[in-house]
Amino acid sequence: MFLTRSEYDRGVNTFSPEGRLFQVEYAIEAIKLGSTAIGICTSEGVVLAVEKRITSPLMEPTTIEKIVEVDKHIGCAVSGLMADSRTMIDRARVECQNHWFVYNENMSVESCAQGVSNLAIQFGDSDDDGAAMSRPFGVAILFAGIDEKGPQLYHMDPSGTFVQFDAKAIGSGSEGAQQSLQEVYHRSMTLEEATTAALTILKQVMEEKLNASNVEVMTMTPKDLFHMFPKEQVEEVIGKLT
Amino acid sequence: MFDPMANAPPLWSNGPTPGSFYNFPGPQTKPNDHFTHSQSPVTTATSIVALAYDKGIMIAGDLLASYGSLARYRNCPRIMEVNDNILLGAGGDYADFQYVKSFIEQKIIDEECLDDGIKLKPKSLYCWLTRVMYQRRNKFDPLWNNLVIGGIQDGTPFLGTVDKLGTAYTDRAICTGYGAHIALPMIRDAIEKKAQPLTQAEARALIEKSLEVLFYRDARSYPKYQLGIIDQDEGVKIEGPLSVSQNWNIATIIKSV
Amino acid sequence: MFATENAYYPDYSTKPIQHSFSPYADNGGSVVAIAGDDFVVVGADTRLSAGFSIYTREQNKLFPLSNTTVLGCSGCWCDTLTLTRILKSRMQMYHQEHNKVMSTTACAQMLSTMLYYKRFFPYYISNILVGLDNEGKGCIYSYDPIGHCEKTTYRAGGSAGALLQPLLDNQIGQKNLTKVSAESITQEKALAILKDVFISAAERDIYTGDNVMINIITKDGIKEDNFELRKD
Repeated sequence: MFLTRSEYDRGVNTFSPEGRLFQVEYAIEAIKLGSTAIGICTSEGVVLAVEKRITSPLMEPTTIEKIVEVDKHIGCAVSGLMADSRTMIDRARVECQNHWFVYNENMSVESCAQGVSNLAIQFGDSDDDGAAMSRPFGVAILFAGIDEKGPQLYHMDPSGTFVQFDAKAIGSGSEGAQQSLQEVYHRSMTLEEATTAALTILKQVMEEKLNASNVEVMTMTPKDLFHMFPKEQVEEVIGKLT
Repeated sequence: MFDPMANAPPLWSNGPTPGSFYNFPGPQTKPNDHFTHSQSPVTTATSIVALAYDKGIMIAGDLLASYGSLARYRNCPRIMEVNDNILLGAGGDYADFQYVKSFIEQKIIDEECLDDGIKLKPKSLYCWLTRVMYQRRNKFDPLWNNLVIGGIQDGTPFLGTVDKLGTAYTDRAICTGYGAHIALPMIRDAIEKKAQPLTQAEARALIEKSLEVLFYRDARSYPKYQLGIIDQDEGVKIEGPLSVSQNWNIATIIKSV
Repeated sequence: MFATENAYYPDYSTKPIQHSFSPYADNGGSVVAIAGDDFVVVGADTRLSAGFSIYTREQNKLFPLSNTTVLGCSGCWCDTLTLTRILKSRMQMYHQEHNKVMSTTACAQMLSTMLYYKRFFPYYISNILVGLDNEGKGCIYSYDPIGHCEKTTYRAGGSAGALLQPLLDNQIGQKNLTKVSAESITQEKALAILKDVFISAAERDIYTGDNVMINIITKDGIKEDNFELRKD
């Protein structure tokens, strides 16, 4: 695709003659540099697992936060530019709280993704609503949540497109991981199997050796909702990996 | 320094008196950018009498615009032909009606300019006027009118009304002002006594009777009036100026004790 | 000479008439709702009035918002017209944004926030929102004009609200009774009481009369009923 690079690749509000928005496509490329994140949706719940790149032994691993709670019933895994992701997570949280405030009910995962998508495409020319953003967000997000339709997993890319998935990988190792997910995923998977599978695949695609401090694991179940694995629980799962 | 000979300021000056708020010293500021909205009508028109009959709508209103109790302007038409299937009648402030009339006319002109054959329907105008009146109420600057909208939509007669607050309703018979107290009971009685809808002739007789009684009893009414008719077969027309039939013979019979 | 400045005879006053604009009108009307285990009935009279004049005898004051939710309104009619129009569009927007029909509970909360957003220029309406909750049970939410919301099983509101609520407390709430039945109310009983209390209201309240429109909401949808009151 870079062969067609031309003067059309600068503006976020100009289509190329082939009908492409290069800046958006570049943003989609950018998220392929991010750390790998995997989400698997089962009938029992959803599991999210992400790698944390510890670039220096002097770094404090717990300050890297790639899985966050949006509401009690929705959690997100992000990959790409972390600073951008904060803005999007903020929006997701506001959308969920506003929905609860107005309707006294939990926001559905799809609606939450829609809310964030509306933010994601606000790049381009500024209008009456205020100044627009200069570029698309360089972030891919996995939304894991429980709503009246049961456990749900959604993926969103920098173009704001969001799609529901049974299992999805994002980030630098996503191509290999997605392939592996396709092989291991089946509809009757238990959450425990999914957790193990997610970490097994993560282990395969990660450059560093997987341990309890360079991964984050979260499960979303109808009973416990957002549950971030404490270090001991992560170690326990890693211990079971072959 | 403390001077025991000097007059001490009164204790607790500017302090709040029990039960009231503290008065801040300094000049009292007043807003100087305010303007006064109309709080009352000035030149007014009285009742509108309107009813639906089997094939259409009839709206009547006299031609008087009063200035308080003074019969100031005696040729003020207030039935408006909006288009070939809407009639509008208005009571209340005559200037406000002229304003309403002008922007409805402009709306019709804008619509004509599109030349797409689509024309305003009675229910649409009724709904739109409800919104206009309600928005003016919200600004505390009401259009001081009672508007009556009549027309034919989808083959059935439509009759609705909106007041200065945006209170809107539809009915088979609608009277505003004194008409609501004097004419409406008579009209409702006539409608209820007849199982079928009224015919045009019956409707006309009923309206003529109503205007006669109103002229006897409403001091702000006038014997010259206009009658707007929308009929499925005959189309729209405004008749008049017509005269209220009067019979003052009984006046000589009545002797005050 | 005769009672020219008597405040009791304003029509005979010789002083200029002082008009002042009030954005509100009391157009009367009463709403009564009774909820059961798997149904809810709501009724509203059809008289629209102002002072001693009756604007119309056939004004429906029940607004179906979905297949399981109905709103009954009484008070300032121009505010009712506006509020119910906004509500209808909010229902549609919710449906399009979230791909589902708004539940009665969600609608109840939304109405509360909508009313409170107009805290300093309120909709002068006494609202009673009825419907089936997420478990299919009948539920009633009643509001004050600025959005205070209370969930109940029976409620009377509007011009005869103060007249009828104690009656319902006794007849449905079984208050101040020595023999109290533990059984929940049947649809037939609820309907009978609803009609009875409206007859009583029409006797004493000039703003209630003409007809009663009744909506019976069950899992099968909304059934309409109508019965006549005195028309004087």
